[in-house]
Amino acid sequence: MTTTSHEQSFPRPRRSLVPAWALHWGIWLLVVALIVGPFVPLLYASLRDRPLYEAGGVLTVQPYRQLFGDSAFWDAWGNTLMFASLTTLMAVLGGALIAILVTRTDLVGRKTLGRLTLLPILLPSLGMVLGWLVIWGPGGYLTAMFSDRLHLPTLAIDTIPGMAVVEATRLLPIAFLTCQAALSRADSSLEDAARSAGARPVRVLSSITIPMLRPALLNAATLIFTLSIAALGIPLLLGTSNNIVFVSSYLYNTWTNASTPDPGSVSAGAVMMLLVATALLVLRNRLLGAEARFVSVGGKSGRQALLRLRKWRWPLAGLLSFYLVFTTLVPVLGLALMSFVVVLTPLVPPWELLTSAHWNVLLDDETFRRSIENSAIIAVVGAVGTTAFVALATLVAHRSGFRFRRTLPFLMLYPRATPGIIIGIGFFWAYLLTGAFGDYMRGSIWGIMLAFCVRNLPLAYIVMYPTLARIGEELDRAGRAAGAGWWRTSRSIVLPLLKPAIFASFILMFVEIINDYDPAVFLVKPGTEVMGATMLAQFIQGAVGPVSALAMVQVAITVVVLSIGAKLFKIGVTGGDHGA
Amino acid sequence: MPEIHVENLVKEFGDQRALDDVSFEVREGELFTLLGPSGCGKSTTLMSIAGFQHPESGRIAVGDETFVDAARRIAVPAEQRNLGIVFQSYAVWPHMTVFENLAFPLKVRKLKRAAIRTRVREVLELVEMLQYEQRYPHQLSGGQQQRVALARALVYSPTILLLDEPFSNLDAKLRERARAWVKELQRTLGLTTIFVTHDQDEALSMSDRVAVMSAGEIQQIGTPEEIYRHPANRFVAEFVGRVNLIEGLVSANEGGGVLVDVTGSPLHLSVRDGAGASGSITIAVRPEAVTVLRLDDNSSNGTNTWEADVETVAFLGDHYEYEVNAGSVALTVQSSRRVEGDRIKVHIPPDACALVE
Repeated sequence: MTTTSHEQSFPRPRRSLVPAWALHWGIWLLVVALIVGPFVPLLYASLRDRPLYEAGGVLTVQPYRQLFGDSAFWDAWGNTLMFASLTTLMAVLGGALIAILVTRTDLVGRKTLGRLTLLPILLPSLGMVLGWLVIWGPGGYLTAMFSDRLHLPTLAIDTIPGMAVVEATRLLPIAFLTCQAALSRADSSLEDAARSAGARPVRVLSSITIPMLRPALLNAATLIFTLSIAALGIPLLLGTSNNIVFVSSYLYNTWTNASTPDPGSVSAGAVMMLLVATALLVLRNRLLGAEARFVSVGGKSGRQALLRLRKWRWPLAGLLSFYLVFTTLVPVLGLALMSFVVVLTPLVPPWELLTSAHWNVLLDDETFRRSIENSAIIAVVGAVGTTAFVALATLVAHRSGFRFRRTLPFLMLYPRATPGIIIGIGFFWAYLLTGAFGDYMRGSIWGIMLAFCVRNLPLAYIVMYPTLARIGEELDRAGRAAGAGWWRTSRSIVLPLLKPAIFASFILMFVEIINDYDPAVFLVKPGTEVMGATMLAQFIQGAVGPVSALAMVQVAITVVVLSIGAKLFKIGVTGGDHGA
Repeated sequence: MPEIHVENLVKEFGDQRALDDVSFEVREGELFTLLGPSGCGKSTTLMSIAGFQHPESGRIAVGDETFVDAARRIAVPAEQRNLGIVFQSYAVWPHMTVFENLAFPLKVRKLKRAAIRTRVREVLELVEMLQYEQRYPHQLSGGQQQRVALARALVYSPTILLLDEPFSNLDAKLRERARAWVKELQRTLGLTTIFVTHDQDEALSMSDRVAVMSAGEIQQIGTPEEIYRHPANRFVAEFVGRVNLIEGLVSANEGGGVLVDVTGSPLHLSVRDGAGASGSITIAVRPEAVTVLRLDDNSSNGTNTWEADVETVAFLGDHYEYEVNAGSVALTVQSSRRVEGDRIKVHIPPDACALVE
């Protein structure tokens, strides 16, 4: 051991120019402004006797009285609840079943099948509904083939149960992910203990594994119920022909179609939806607490003995593949086909009806072209911005001494519970009330971008938080002890370690923003169109071909970006991260 | 090298009192240990000194610099305290090489590149890790990571050093070597050090002084010998080392000690401790302080020599462990002697008895 110059002294580290508390306050205030901001004017608008843009006006409960007096509104609630319950039931049961099959049995190709099961949640939801419509809708390609030619019964997707099936196939991955996470987190020695006690594998599954899934199932059910209440594309695309109206489409129709626009009652309806969604979120938080108590910590996962399916290995794999083909591949192929033919009908072979007209519209038509450009810009800028902002806010929430840090997780998860259409209405009013800033935002694509970013930021938080939680707090404490302030520690130590989650969040944000549509329906103006909103508007005007082509553009971008992301950064959508 | 003053620290988590009026002083150049079971408040105390926990009341000062004074609303941020800390997990930054880990605190202090280079290599040499400077932490063993963590805590010449259970992740053999090495390094540098551990062997072998903590309070402060031989209370006696507790009533005071009637037994115990005590008391006797004799051995003069039934004898390599009953008094005895027979004599030297209650 050498004697050293330990007596040597070094300058003390200087305090940074911007103190940490100022950064924390700034980030917190911005989160509050972005997330609470849009809902205050919404509440205000619902309590006025005339629209906010008209001068004068007094506070009143008239909008609520008017809304509650409309029997169509209550019918819409009835339809919505029926739809959401059916969706939840099917998605949760299906998701849990597939999760058990691919994590706990020796199903053929279980890894690949598990990964493919996730796809529907990432594909553009509006496009997928359209795909279902052209294939399985009344007069759809396969419907016509099966019922007219073969006289077989088909699923009527323009009824409430039918719509629930379509929505359930989209939301099933959430239940799947939550259950898969719970299953792989569970201590396998609990199951081993049951085996040692003499239980046969099937008995272990029914007595140990499935009961342990209960909290995960409840959690997934609440989230799926919340999300399906907010569905807008499904009632607009599938419900219109049978005149089935949901709360979201009721509000949409009241806003856009009524001869006398009546935003007061729309805002009142939105407030009511918001209350329901908030109640469900609070309920979910409680359930999550219950789930945490259920987690058996310290188990070594990945060594579970798999349930042997024996002769069922192949048939069950076939069944699952069949499901995936018919709910994911067929609608996408239907879209692709639709975008290349004049009409899609089983009466004439498609190759005799080939046309490039729909795709030409994308290039020639000002609105379509601009939508693609705008969406691309919004997705890139929005994904970068949201990811950076959420990374900082997550650090403040979990790695700072900031006084109100505990409010941040709830705030950042809140938009997840909020129907997109309501975020749109909220931002619409917020821009109206904020003078020059609002005018600028309303007139440019950035107004829509901000609404999309706020709507999707919970997913960025959900991706980043588990990774941050795995970075030991002692690592940043060591940085602080070494003399680095909060920001320096975050920049040099925590953020570099968070890099994989930051990349994953960027990819996810890009995909979500490019496919999002419902917050934009009340915000678009000529010049600020985005793909999803254009698809909806053009579909209602009957331009199914070009809309299919546009949906194919979304699907293609999504698939390409996700595969690049998966290749480059080894992103596995794992754990219950996405579902939480 | 300054001394550390900790005065009247109180820290609450919810309605749980983690620290209840904790006070102590650490002398210049001393290795001072906070010893106690998990949840006793030792880590909370250390983290309060480091600036990662904020006590509700109390005062912490190092030298003439006040870190915390709750009454005057002073709380120096952790990064301004200039102290070195080694965490239980080592917290070596995984995305930086060994060199970069050590360079970071110096970069924060705006040293020139050349000066950083010289200083980092000097300290790496001190911990005998110079040849690993370009390695990443995952390429190092646990013991090596620990050296890097220590080097990183020393590289900027901190005023004091804090060690939070730094040996608990090492295997038993390595742990002993690391203890000796850290102790020697600390002595060479003369660095005032606070060391937190739940391992009594570690505390006894390394410390200049030890504070035993339980339930947020300091139970006793003293040198390792004092703590072991004269535990201040039952908790300390039981936590540090193994102990036989004998309860009784003081029957007489005799020259610097007391005579005790053992509760529930006709036996008497002469104790050279607790002069002036009266009423019911508890006496602590270490198992290795008791001697075992054959029944016909009359070498002891009879004071504190009891006949006992042998329940079990276990061979533990360097000693035997006897479980015996002297009447209703159960005793554990450690001895290198093997005494045959179901009934033996045990002798408790009066100066091996410590009054703990």
